[in-house]
Amino acid sequence: MIAAAPKIFVEKDQPGRPHQGKVFVAVHAHLDDVPYFAGGLCVKLMKEGYTGYIVRTSNDEKYGGHTIAENILSNEQEHLKMASVIGFKDVFDLYYRSRRMNEISPVEIRGRLTFILRALKADTVISFDPSATGEPDGDHEETGRAVEDACAMCGSASDFAEHLEAGFPAHPVGERYYFGARPDQRFNRVVDISRHIEKKIDAIVECKSQGGGARGSELRARLAKQGRRLPLLGSDDQTANREYVRHFLLDDYREYGKPHNLQWAERFYYVDERPPTRSKVDEYVERNSVRI
Amino acid sequence: MAGGMAAGFAGALKPASGAEAGNGSHSDLPSKFTPTAYSLPSSKYSPFTTPDYYTYADDLIIERNHPGKPYQGKVLAAIEAHSDDIPLFAGGTVAKLIDEGYTGYLIRVSNDEAAGKTLGYGVVQNEKDIQGAAKALGCKKAYSFYYRNHRMDDNAVIEIRARLIFLFRLLQVNTVFAMDPYDHYDENPDHLVVGKAVEGACWMSGGGKEYPEHYKAGLKPASVREKYYHARSPQGHNLVNRIVDINSYIDHKVRTNVANTGKGPAGTVGSRLRNELAKQGKKLPFLGDDDETANFQYVKRFLMDDFHLMGQQFGLEYAEAFRYIGPQPNYRENIRRFVDEHAVPL
Repeated sequence: MIAAAPKIFVEKDQPGRPHQGKVFVAVHAHLDDVPYFAGGLCVKLMKEGYTGYIVRTSNDEKYGGHTIAENILSNEQEHLKMASVIGFKDVFDLYYRSRRMNEISPVEIRGRLTFILRALKADTVISFDPSATGEPDGDHEETGRAVEDACAMCGSASDFAEHLEAGFPAHPVGERYYFGARPDQRFNRVVDISRHIEKKIDAIVECKSQGGGARGSELRARLAKQGRRLPLLGSDDQTANREYVRHFLLDDYREYGKPHNLQWAERFYYVDERPPTRSKVDEYVERNSVRI
Repeated sequence: MAGGMAAGFAGALKPASGAEAGNGSHSDLPSKFTPTAYSLPSSKYSPFTTPDYYTYADDLIIERNHPGKPYQGKVLAAIEAHSDDIPLFAGGTVAKLIDEGYTGYLIRVSNDEAAGKTLGYGVVQNEKDIQGAAKALGCKKAYSFYYRNHRMDDNAVIEIRARLIFLFRLLQVNTVFAMDPYDHYDENPDHLVVGKAVEGACWMSGGGKEYPEHYKAGLKPASVREKYYHARSPQGHNLVNRIVDINSYIDHKVRTNVANTGKGPAGTVGSRLRNELAKQGKKLPFLGDDDETANFQYVKRFLMDDFHLMGQQFGLEYAEAFRYIGPQPNYRENIRRFVDEHAVPL
């Protein structure tokens, strides 16, 4: 059987705060995953009323160019700053060793995510597509798989019954936005982030240990030593970092928007598992039931 | 701390001298050797009672009854792989501590599927039994994790440990009972997996950096300061530094084992024996005239006898044996006290 190409839905900004009272949890493996792949969506959803939380599963020890210990610290601190820029209410760091997550127990991380999703009463999750093909990063795969399994389990009262006793009831996750780390991975939803691009850039700028957040100021300093400058980098480090990100690191997101006449866009494989307000059986009974 | 008094047992339990071991059997151990393990006398009625050997610490304590409710406000968790573990090996002591004020919880880690007419019947019966056993012990509640029986070395210990940490924090556990994680020659993989998970969970449940999401959700760290580790009979044995006088609680222990109808050597074996004898036109008078009496007396006579024989070694009617790990000294306070006593003016 050949799978049909999915119909692409374009999600645009919604007026007001239609998601007031709802909660989303963004789960990524590394400091810069959510800022790049879903930073605009997160800003958009919070603007529309969602409360957002972010979970980082790895300790990012391999990224930062310093010692393993120094990398863990710098990524941890930058994660807090990045989360603050986007507007997350709270940050969870699970600190599994980065690039080694395929050795951890999948049931343990799943259990932890199940608990977090229940404790926060998550309605929506944003994470890696667990079925993405060509994913080279094992941490992405493990995180996406654990998130998907946790979503399936956190709505079931039979799983981790001790959570229920502690006051964290089973809570189904209705919507999932799965992102891919590569442009050739599947998607069925394009989200217009044109109005949120500045926040996305601000968030990426905080990702200095990885993600290129400091490359603008580094380039500016290098050119200055050579007696040169790039006008687009401006006259201070912050401007240099922001404009470097805008001009050199976000090409994919510019390209994602073009087919839909959007200036900037992010792409997702969206899964809607919210229960219908009326089941098919209810509808059938209403249409066909007769008086006895 | 569940206290006790020092035992003067050395006279009662002499090392084998080259002629006779502690269990009455012949010993060829030359007198120039000091035994490092002691064999226990056994009734030979059941393999599921006391181990063949124990190794005793020289600071062994006999824990006796405490009047009143000295442990009011404290919480114990008795963790077992299978529905019959705590009832057989630690039921008397758990019942004693609950009677002395502890709030008790029973946590069963496996689904006990390996005992029953079919796998499904086994799971259901043992699920029911653990409620009865918890009630007989005086526990407030029983939990089951339902990992597959005899396959727990296939499970992620880190997940079992994480779930125990969650429960220890939720229930604010102070004291645990479990299979000794270093039980020698234990054939059952579930016992060692559970023992190790409990040991790690006790240590980690007080840690501020472990599973911080629990704290964000409102749970508090648990301070598990006392551990009673028991051995598994017959081959398994461990280091014993605490003997608990369970004479006042032997009937609790019996009733707890009678509640285990789906697994273990107790349950309804007494009534079945009584009925079998009746068909042959015979009876054992001590089994009484009804099933309930038969079940109770069968367990007390045939399964508790070894705990009686062990108790006798220490001048007690019935006893259970543990590797007890108590609260750590207050190291910082001890150093501070030393400094206060010895610091001199510059």
